[in-house]
Amino acid sequence: MPWWDRLDKGGHAALGYAGCRRRRSLDPARADDREHRETVGMAAQATLERLGGTLSAGDYLRALWSRRQFAIAIAVGEVRSQHMNTALGNLWLVLNPLLQMGVYYLVFGVIIGTDRGVDNFLAFLAVGVFLFHYTQRSIMAGAKSLLKNQGLIRSIQFPRAVLPLATVLAHGLSFLPAAAVLIFIALATGESPHWTWLLLVPLFAVQTLFNIGMAFIMARITDRFPDMQNVLPFVFRLLFYVSGVLFLAARYVSPETLVWFQLNPIYAMISTGRGIILDGTLNGVLWLSAGSWAVAAMVTGFFVFRAGERDYGRG
Amino acid sequence: MSGITGVADTRQVLADRQPPLDPALTLVAQDAHVTYRVYEDRRVGLQELVSRGGKLRASRAIKAVKGVSFEARAGEVIGVIGANGSGKSTLLQAMAGLLPCTDGAIYARSQPVILGVGAALQPLLSGRRNVELGLLALGASQEQVEEQFDEVVEFSGLEDSIDLPLRTYSSGMKARLHFAIATSIKPDLLLIDEALAVGDADFRVRSEERIRALQAHAGTVFIVSHRLSEIQRTCTRVLWLCAGELAADGAPGEVLAKYREWVGRPRNRPPRQQREQRRRWRRRRRRRRQERRLERRRQRRQRLQAEG
Repeated sequence: MPWWDRLDKGGHAALGYAGCRRRRSLDPARADDREHRETVGMAAQATLERLGGTLSAGDYLRALWSRRQFAIAIAVGEVRSQHMNTALGNLWLVLNPLLQMGVYYLVFGVIIGTDRGVDNFLAFLAVGVFLFHYTQRSIMAGAKSLLKNQGLIRSIQFPRAVLPLATVLAHGLSFLPAAAVLIFIALATGESPHWTWLLLVPLFAVQTLFNIGMAFIMARITDRFPDMQNVLPFVFRLLFYVSGVLFLAARYVSPETLVWFQLNPIYAMISTGRGIILDGTLNGVLWLSAGSWAVAAMVTGFFVFRAGERDYGRG
Repeated sequence: MSGITGVADTRQVLADRQPPLDPALTLVAQDAHVTYRVYEDRRVGLQELVSRGGKLRASRAIKAVKGVSFEARAGEVIGVIGANGSGKSTLLQAMAGLLPCTDGAIYARSQPVILGVGAALQPLLSGRRNVELGLLALGASQEQVEEQFDEVVEFSGLEDSIDLPLRTYSSGMKARLHFAIATSIKPDLLLIDEALAVGDADFRVRSEERIRALQAHAGTVFIVSHRLSEIQRTCTRVLWLCAGELAADGAPGEVLAKYREWVGRPRNRPPRQQREQRRRWRRRRRRRRQERRLERRRQRRQRLQAEG
């Protein structure tokens, strides 16, 4: 039997490495292979690091922090390439929210008329629609981020949390022009600037935290069960209606039901936004609800996401 | 030698063993096994569904790497060869820490860099932004990016097209860019999976030079390739994988000779009956040829006799 027949049958050990002289990089008179492997193994354990291990939460955060520039570069790159092939380019970042407002105003302000109890319906609608879409787009894109970047996951070692994080950052960046449009609409419809407008910044931070945390959770679920991508649109459709995006909830539901609305993080954020832009008022309950949701989502999301780190990108 | 040994014990044992180990180990694979699951694209029958406990999709465990052990040292350029599906790429992924070993372990001196930076790049953006993105992806800081940028562009030879979108680059240009990005951070351990074949001759020469530079820097380079001539030229050592196991590990000349012999082995042997039939025909052909030759010789002799 020629030597390759034994190789094809998989009996490499019996064959003595295809008949090749083994590399004797150490002592040529070494007693046997097993002892050599043991020696090398111990040397490796003593001097080298084991690959493919899991990081502790602290080390994971540090690794994530050291890759912050990478996350920002991905986010900026995504926003940049979004409208690259269009004639108007990044003007669409402003035109999109404007057109969107036009449609919603036409349908719900003029045709159906859900503007009961609202003085400035256009600005009211703008806050609702822009804030809702920021969360919706962040979470839905964040959920897909691991599946979309499977190639990257399979070729470069980095904390995978960079991917959902960068996706939310990208949507945060495209939210900024929408926020400018929001201010413009508020001014154009006769609101006068008020100090509470500055609170848009912490509100944006709270919402971003919430989005990142939820994106972490959804990314892990979607990576394991891609079916989630088909469920999420319906979840958000439902949230769209129960978050009072198009109508003043207090006007349509009973006070008991309104408590449940206030426990909904998206309603809390939208109403807070309306309070600070339109009325110049602060509602402590809503801030508390939004803030605790954001912190809870972020903490849970981080730990849930990290626990699946080893399994990402191998569907 | 079993059970858990502390580092101090280990040092003692190492000191006892003669001769002492060369300290420049860079990467060690100890009986590494990699198994992954893939889903099958086929219908699952009801009976099978019940027997598997209600899992809707059939999956199969692929044992891609089955007990590979080797140690790499500083200054080695190691070629990895083997047929398609023999586990080369999986082994490389495990060496990069991207696939965990299901059994055994791989140890490394530093995080190995696999030459797969292309996945981090965004095709619509310009080459310039992609160089930044790629360097950041490999773990460079913003300052390092600024430092390395010119060198990457110069090495890739893409000065003229650096502001064009990446999607307009040819595959050779992309490969040059990827190689330039991945090697510019001077990785201690570089893993190359069939990348050098794409560039033109000039680039190939320069990339081989750069591999030698990494080698001289006491790093270790692994090259997976099907171009045996390239392996012969650049590598100091060759690993041959066959069906997930190490078939050979040694000097390039020796291993490549064995590999060529194995590749040229007679395969698809015809069944015994056919073989015997062919042998009979061959014998008959030979006999007839012999007879004809004898006949010609006899005739010539007669002719000569008639003339002389």
